[in-house]
Order: sequence, then C-alpha cells, then structure tokens
Amino acid sequence: MDKKTVTNIAYLSRLSLNEGNEDKITKDLENIIKFVDQLDTANVDDIDPLTSPLEKTAKTRSDKATAQNRKDVFLERSPKSNEDYFLVPRVVE
Amino acid sequence: MSIQYKTIKELASMLKGNDISNKELVEETYSLVKSNTHLNAFITLNEDAAIKKAEDLDKNPSYLSLSGIPIAQKDLFCTKDLRTTCGSNMLSNFIPPYSATVIENLENAGCISIGKTNMDEFAMGSSNETSFFGNVLNPWGDDLVPGGSSGGSAAAVAAGIVPAATGTDTGGSIRQPASLCGITGLKPTYGRISRWGMIAFASSLDQAGPMARTAEDCAIMLNEMCSHDLKDTTSLDEEIPDFTSDLSTSIKGLKIGIVKEFDLSQLDNDVVKVFEESKKHYESLGAEFVEISLPNISLSVPTYYVVAPAECSSNLSRFDGVKFGKRCDDPKNLEDLYIRTRSEGFGDEVKRRILIGSYVLSAGFYDAYYKKAQQVRRLIKNDFDNAFEKVDVIMSPTTRGAAFSAGSKGDDPIQMYLEDLFTIPANLAGLPALSIPNGMVDNKPIGLQLIGNFLQESKLLQVAHNFQISTDWHLKKPTEEIN
Amino acid sequence: MSWETVIGLEIHVQLSTESKLFSGGSTGFGAEPNTHVDLIDMGLPGVLPVANRDAFYKAIRFGLATNAEINQTSSFDRKNYFYPDLPKGYQITQMAIPIVGKGSIKILVEGAEKIINITRAHLEEDAGKSIHDLFEGETGVDLNRAGTPLLEIVSEPEISNAKEAVAYFKAVKQLVTFLDICDGIMAQGSMRCDVNVSMKKTEDKELGTRAEIKNLNSFKFIEKAINFETERQIRIIESGESVVQETRLYDSIKNETRSMRSKEEANDYRYFPCPDLLPVVITDEELNEIKENLPELPEQKERRYISEANLEESEAKIISSSKTMANMFEEACLKTDDSKLVANWLVGDISALLNKDNIDIDESKLTSNNFGTLIERISDKTISGKIAKSVLEEVWESGNNVDDIIEDKGLVQIQDESLLESIASKIIEDNPGQVNAYKGGKDKLFGFFVGQVMKETQGKANPQSVNEILKKLLD
Repeated sequence: MDKKTVTNIAYLSRLSLNEGNEDKITKDLENIIKFVDQLDTANVDDIDPLTSPLEKTAKTRSDKATAQNRKDVFLERSPKSNEDYFLVPRVVE
Repeated sequence: MSIQYKTIKELASMLKGNDISNKELVEETYSLVKSNTHLNAFITLNEDAAIKKAEDLDKNPSYLSLSGIPIAQKDLFCTKDLRTTCGSNMLSNFIPPYSATVIENLENAGCISIGKTNMDEFAMGSSNETSFFGNVLNPWGDDLVPGGSSGGSAAAVAAGIVPAATGTDTGGSIRQPASLCGITGLKPTYGRISRWGMIAFASSLDQAGPMARTAEDCAIMLNEMCSHDLKDTTSLDEEIPDFTSDLSTSIKGLKIGIVKEFDLSQLDNDVVKVFEESKKHYESLGAEFVEISLPNISLSVPTYYVVAPAECSSNLSRFDGVKFGKRCDDPKNLEDLYIRTRSEGFGDEVKRRILIGSYVLSAGFYDAYYKKAQQVRRLIKNDFDNAFEKVDVIMSPTTRGAAFSAGSKGDDPIQMYLEDLFTIPANLAGLPALSIPNGMVDNKPIGLQLIGNFLQESKLLQVAHNFQISTDWHLKKPTEEIN
Repeated sequence: MSWETVIGLEIHVQLSTESKLFSGGSTGFGAEPNTHVDLIDMGLPGVLPVANRDAFYKAIRFGLATNAEINQTSSFDRKNYFYPDLPKGYQITQMAIPIVGKGSIKILVEGAEKIINITRAHLEEDAGKSIHDLFEGETGVDLNRAGTPLLEIVSEPEISNAKEAVAYFKAVKQLVTFLDICDGIMAQGSMRCDVNVSMKKTEDKELGTRAEIKNLNSFKFIEKAINFETERQIRIIESGESVVQETRLYDSIKNETRSMRSKEEANDYRYFPCPDLLPVVITDEELNEIKENLPELPEQKERRYISEANLEESEAKIISSSKTMANMFEEACLKTDDSKLVANWLVGDISALLNKDNIDIDESKLTSNNFGTLIERISDKTISGKIAKSVLEEVWESGNNVDDIIEDKGLVQIQDESLLESIASKIIEDNPGQVNAYKGGKDKLFGFFVGQVMKETQGKANPQSVNEILKKLLD
C-alpha cells in the first residue's frame, strides 16, 4: 500500500498520520487487506450483494411534524456554542 | 443471605417472599460492585437513581417480570441523563438526552439499572483491552481477559455482582465473552431487538442481547428486550413468543448440525475434548448429530472485516467535535478540529477499522472489496438456509480456547480477529445464536455455541436449558474454582 | 472553429412536506436557529432514520408529470464527507436506485420549444446552514434545515447556453409549483441549482472537462455565471491549457466564478447502501391514486380558462404560467361572474406593476385574498374601476388590506342617485355657458360636465350613474 493511498485514506477519514504511527498503520492496513483478499477465491457470478440480512422492505412514516423544540438541550451538550448556534472555527470556502 | 451469584429467578423469589427488600438488594449490589472494583467492569454507576427506584418499589410494590432486579447496562446503550461513553474518550463526557428502546423496555419491566458496563471502544474488540477506561479483568483470573466487546457485562455477571446484564453482538461480542467468563449469552435474530439508542458500530450486524447465569434468565430478559419499534425500520414486526414457555420440553429427536468445514483439529486437545463430551451429553438427551456443509464459511472472517469496518467508518463520522462529545483544544481551523478531535478521541483499533472501512469503500476498490464481501455474505446466508433444511440447530465451540492473558495477542490485529471465527457467521446471516458454559480448560471456563434458524430463539433456549438442567457447568463460580 | 457549450443542471427542489425526510422535525421556514431540530436531525449517537412517505408521493408526481420511469422499489445510499452542517458526516441520498428515472420536460426559449431530457430525480436530505459572517473568527451552524427533503433533478447535458439554462430552470420551477410539491420561493432557498459547464469544438466527439458551479439561486445569477464560465473556459483552452475538473462558486459582486478551496481528494464520497434503511416500495394502488389526483398543470389550466372562462389565448397563457397567478385568478373568479374583469386586472395593471418592479407575482405584496376583495369591491360597485387602480397601487406598496384602504381614504363610490343628481344639477346651473355650447352641438363638452361632477365628488361618483344623470339633465 503506497504512502499516497494511506495519506489519502487518512484524510478521507480525518485521522492524522505522523512519524510515530504512519509505518505501523500502513503495515497493519497492508496485513488486513492481504487477509481479506481471500475473498477473491469466491465465485460470486450472478450473486446479488446482501445489504441487510432481512428480506423485507421498510415501513415509512406519515408526514407530521412531531418534534419539539429542544434547542437548549442540544446546544448545552455541544463542545462550543452560543445561545443560538453551534460554533466551529471560521470556514472559508 | 448473600445475593452474589443469584439468578433473576432466585432474586425475584427473595423479593416476593420479603426475604430482602428492594432497597437492601440494591445496596448489597453496590457493595459487591465496590468490593470488585479491580475488575473495572463499570464505567459509570447510577447509585442515587437506583436506590430511589428501589425505595419507591418498597413503598409501592409492583410485580412485573423484572421488578427490583438489578441489571447492568452495557455502555453502548444511550441512557437518558446518565453518561454513555461506548468505552471511548470521544464520548467520555456525553450525556444522552434520550434512552434506548431496549433500556426503556427493561426499565418498564421493573428492572433497576445499576450502572454502565465497560466495553471495548465502540464495540471493536474481543478482549476488552481497547477501552479508554482501562482493561476489564476476568473474574476467573486477574491476568485473563474477559473477552469483548461486552467484557464489563460478562465480568459483572460472572463475578455474581448482578444476575444479568445487557450486551451487544456484532461479530460475537456477547457470545465470546460469555464463553470466556463461564456465563450464558444470547444474540437474537437480527431485528428482534430495536437498535434505537444503541450506538451504531456496524448497522447490519449489531444486535443487543441478554447475558446471564442461565438460559432461563436469558429468556426472561429476552421477553422484555424484544419489541417492534417504529423508530427502527430494521426492527422485525413478528410475533414475540414467551421465550420461557417451552424451555423444559424434551429435545428427543432434535437434529443438531456439525459444520464440516470447522476444522476442530486446529484446536487444543482439551478444547476438542470438552466439545466432544457435550456432543455425547446431547446424544444422551436424545439428540441426533448430522454433518452439514457450509461451503463458504471459511470466508466469514474476511467478509466481516470488510463489511463491519465499512459500516463503522461511516457510522463514526458523526464524531467530529462539532455538536457533542469531545473536541480538541484550540482548533486552528476546521480541518484541525476534525483531525485532532478524531485522532485524540479514538483509540488505535477504532482508527484501524475506520481506515480499512474508508479504503474498501473508496473509488476503485468498492467492487473488489465491499461489493464482493456483500456477495459472499449472501453465499454464507444461503449456506445456512440450506443447512437448516436438514437440521434444527447448529453446534460448535464458541471460541477457539479459553480466556487468554491480556496482551498475549500481540501487535497483530488479525490474531485478535480470528478469535471470532465461530461467532461471526451468525451475524453475517442475521441468525440467532447463544453460548452456554460447557466445560473447563486449565481451570478456565469455555463455551458451547448453538446457532438457530431465523426467529428460532425459543428452540435455542430450549436446547440450552435442557443441557443446563442436566449439567452443572453454568453453576461453577470463580471464587470456588480458583485456588 | 466554433465552440459549443455543454451544460447540465442539477436542481435541488425542497419538497413542501410538513416534516423532514427522515424525522418528525418541522420544515417550516424562518424559525429561530436550531429550534426545528429533532434527535435524528442532530445525528446523535444511536438515532435511526425513518422515511417520510409523503416525500415519495411528491417525487412521484414530478415523475408522472415528466413522463418518467417510476421505480416503485427504491433504496437509499450514504454519501460520506465532512462539513459542519452535515451532522452525521454523511448525507442519505439515492444513488443506485432513484425513485424517478428518465423523463423529459419541454422548455420555451425565445419562442422556440425544446425538449430537455432528465436523467433522474432522486430523494435526499438537505444539510443545515453554516453562517460564516456573523461571529468573529467563527462559523455558526444552524441545523434547522438539516433533514429537509430534497428532490434532486438531474438534466442530461443537453443545454446549450445560458438562456436555455434559465428557461429550463423556469420550466422546472413552474412544474414543481403547479404540482404542489414545492413553493418555488427561491429567496427562501426552496430551489437552488448546480450548473455543470464544459466546452467543446463542434467537430469534437468527446465532451470537454467540466467545472461545476454550485448553489445558484436566481435566474440572473444562473445566466451570468454561465456566461462568465463559458468565457473563462474558452480562454483557458485557447491559451493551450486544460480546464480543471473542480467545484466553483459564483461571486455575484465581482461577477466571476472561483474555485472552492476544498481538496480534490476530498471528493471521494464512498457511496454505499444505507444499512439502516430498507428499500421502500410504492404499491400500484398508491401509484394510481397519485396519478388520478395529479394537480392541474399549466397547459390544462390554459385550455380550461379559454373554454370555461372565455379568456383569450394570450390572457390564458399569462395567467396560467404562474401557480400564484392562476390561484389568484381562480379564487377571484369565485367572487364575481365576470371572469374577464379578473383577467383584465391580472394581465393589465398587475402585470404592468410586476414588470416595473421586475418581480414575480409571488414576490409581490399582493395576496390572493386582497386581490379577491379588490375584485369584489369593483363588482359590487363599492369603488369604481378608476378608484380601484389607486387602491391597487396602495396595496402594492404597503400590502395593506383593501377594505381598510377604502375606508381610511373614504374611497367608497357615491352611488346615491339623488345626491349625484343634485350635484349635477348644481354644476349645470353654475355653468350656463357650457350648457348652451353643448346644446348648440359641441358634444365633446359632455366630458367637461362629467369632469366637474368627478371633481366635486373627489372622483368617487359612480361614472355610469354620472353619465346617465347628466344625459338625462342635459338632453
């Protein structure tokens, strides 16, 4: 697994790689991928992928606005907020 | 009268007979907790609320199936206003504003939640060595792991602190610790128990279940835990039987499948010996053994280690330091906020799985890994469907061996992954499975796994109960066995 | 060597359901920040989505109206990326099997009709809002909008220039408002679009590299952004370089598009089927019921107005082109038998005011209720047509109630025949010269007397009565 791939995956996952862990993580990932490569031995022609073990379809809800205003409950649990908003460092687009 | 090691049935009888008050029972439970802190089985205790509920019950008795029974809740279930951590630094300060359906179901049946049990971080692990809150010890030996991820729940029950606890099972996290700790644990059919409020690891595999000293107690718990929940679209809308009603029915003529492809010669002789003894015992109860083939079973572990990380890499994206949970100090910008919060908040195993998950879903690899794994998953499920046309239940050892020492799996994650060899297939196929203690190896308990067909928990419990009324492995206690 | 612009539009339409796509959070606009947020919208650990059936029904209406394939069994996928207003770190969308498949829509560009094919229309949840300019050094996140159902309508890259793009956007807006699936209020973000632009030479078989311009929410900006981007890409290619495939934003102040600062690698969304949501099935019965109850579309209204309300084709076309105007017409017609009267006001004075202010009827202060009252007061002769014009102007500016304006300004028409007669008589008495001149043959002086009566009554005299009375008195 090349460095670029590992760096890319780490960024997609928003996890940091540094000198301390980069090599170990790369090695672990390589081993795990080698391990799961066993899947290549299976013949899956014409087999539908299984997303859920349940052979059923979803129940849906009717269109009613049932939720109550819980702004205070949510904001008080956030790491940083003011009276009205969750706050993060200024995002520049 | 000591309450340690008592079952739900026994405690219910004591309460009803006024041998002990609800308050005394709860207080004694907390004494047991405090005299066993070295096990590190609990992360958060709920003492004030628990005692209050007990006092209320003493004033206004109710006779629900779990009235006054102290239950430990795995710290993966949201409990309203009570800290819920998932064994992670990321949620070490998280107070949910709501409770999981399964918690509400149990509390509505009268139980007293005495605290949240320790677990492998975000349910990823087989030894409870990955928790931010420290390892859990196996009551059978201080250097031994209890198994994982429901290690705290298993230890609490095995040490006799509580008669039962809730666990969750994604690849074996109820059954494997049950085996290593000498207790009974059941994972029901996928969808039997609502996942609302159960912090998600791998959504198509996760399922809650009871852990207790007996199959009968598991049945009592299961009766209350199961429900059809409209808030969970994967929740089954099937009739929920009384799981305690047919436990003692004879299993004469029962067809038990032995999986051809599970090569038991790879296991220690002692482990194989225990398994063979159990087979003989079942034969003496009138069961018949049939060899069945699950041709794709050897691909279960690789399949699981593609599907589960993929789902978890997505499920754990919500932990970003923005709206709840931990945030890193003084983030310089948004990217820094995300990267440092997540790198500091998650442990190594969680990070590994997130990375694997992102990899197998990424452009260019999706077909080769994720799609392929989902296809193999269907093959495995089909294999089970075919097998259950020939047999009623399938039997195997639960684990490759008894409890191992902490740190002994070394640095190689794959060694740990292979611990779940026997348990993973049932999760992939969504089938119910349980583990019961069936012997000792090196003075350490070991478990027997039974896998049932879709919705066949009653059958499994019956097969387990028949074993337990004619053997005493489940009655063994660590304090008696360890010299 | 001629350039061809290849444009595709992805229009996000906020469906007008009461609750969100996956939760019972309210979708109402304009609430205080973070007050319409449910546990599920927050993406709290342990929560699970449950799909809103009405969102499917609304999406299907769009599919039926565009002659599209309807996938009665459709499923949901996760699109994974990190952004502060995306609570779960993924958006639930429909990638593999959208509810609506291939369809088409007719657009009108400078009199000519063109068919634009639609690749698909799928359901997905909207994100919240990030507010960048309110707090020093920080961005505020409001999750009210998170979870609102969107229908993403993807066109084939068959649009050739900015005018066609605007015509297509307008056609979609008209359709979704008439179908009652979206309120079409662009200022509230009910519709927004992303535009993909690439350039190719006529003789090229392959398409050029495209850039995506995100989040355009007005006709004007769509047109300007496309024009700028076209020029930009031509300049790049002609200078020998390549267009970069990227996401850009349109800056309306500088009238230019610029690159967004996110990294390219970040755009691997790692789509996979959402394991929390099983496929949703719409039955044949439900599909038939939606078909039978499809709201009237512009062409149907146009035909009906011509045949039942006796309107001219040109009038019918104007009135039926906007849902709001069509509603106003139909509601006002309940207050009077004179549909022509209603049509005249809409096509005449009101259209003129709309043009003057360069707004759509749904951006004006004129409500359907108020318009209906105006028509009623004209029909029952409370006010004259001329007075009504000044009332309309007052309503246009202030949005005040028609009856209040009439009362406050004392505009009630004078109908009292005996009063009018006495006023007319007095004027005749006071102007003997003009009377003689009129009787002597100067017919045009009739207007003088009418004018004097109007002046005396501050314009409130009923003009018909004045004419009749004067004729009686003078002849």
